[in-house]
Amino acid sequence: MRRLAAALALTLSQSVLAVEAGGPVPDVSGPRIDAPSQSLALSSLRGQVVYVDFWASWCAPCRVSFPLLDALYRENGSRGFVVVGVNKDMSLEDAQKFLKKVPVTFPLVGDAKDAAAKAFDVKTMPSGYLVDRKGVVRKVHRGFTAETGAAIREEVDALLKEPS
Amino acid sequence: MKMSRILALAALLAAGCANVAPYQRGYLARESMALDPNPGMAKALEKTYSAKEAASGGASVGGGGCGCN
Repeated sequence: MRRLAAALALTLSQSVLAVEAGGPVPDVSGPRIDAPSQSLALSSLRGQVVYVDFWASWCAPCRVSFPLLDALYRENGSRGFVVVGVNKDMSLEDAQKFLKKVPVTFPLVGDAKDAAAKAFDVKTMPSGYLVDRKGVVRKVHRGFTAETGAAIREEVDALLKEPS
Repeated sequence: MKMSRILALAALLAAGCANVAPYQRGYLARESMALDPNPGMAKALEKTYSAKEAASGGASVGGGGCGCN
């Protein structure tokens, strides 16, 4: 009886534990959608402050977040800050259409098989994970408003000042 | 015994559900997933229907008959 209940509970909860602040960043990689035949692994960005942003063309707040994140990347890129946009569109065409309207300069990767989204256990779109130079997730932002943008700006500035 | 039957039923019912993860909601945003894939056309058809059949409000709007809405 108890076993049955446990089995039922297990089937219903498919997800792994969500990535939260304080934990290590999962090592995910994916093909670049902005630069054909290149790929990007998060482990290759160790030593930099990274903002991993899960986005999609159907995600309305992403229209707000993209210009703000891009500005932040342009300003702080030379100090060792990088934004990685993980795309969650069903078709690449949708993503490209969105990018024509909201162009960005930071690297974008695809995640067609949901490996990255599952590794992070993304709960909301958009979800952003701010990772310090040592590869530790320091802040998780679920959802996005203009205030989120201002908060990220301060957090990035603080993390960039930390020694690597 | 009774409890395990309920649980078995719950397991059966749960098997029929598909979880849509937050990052998979692009599927739900598809046009073909809409309750009414063509709301403009549906509205026009409804207007024609209610005019022809004198059935204003027959579809979903409350009222009708008294000429007051």
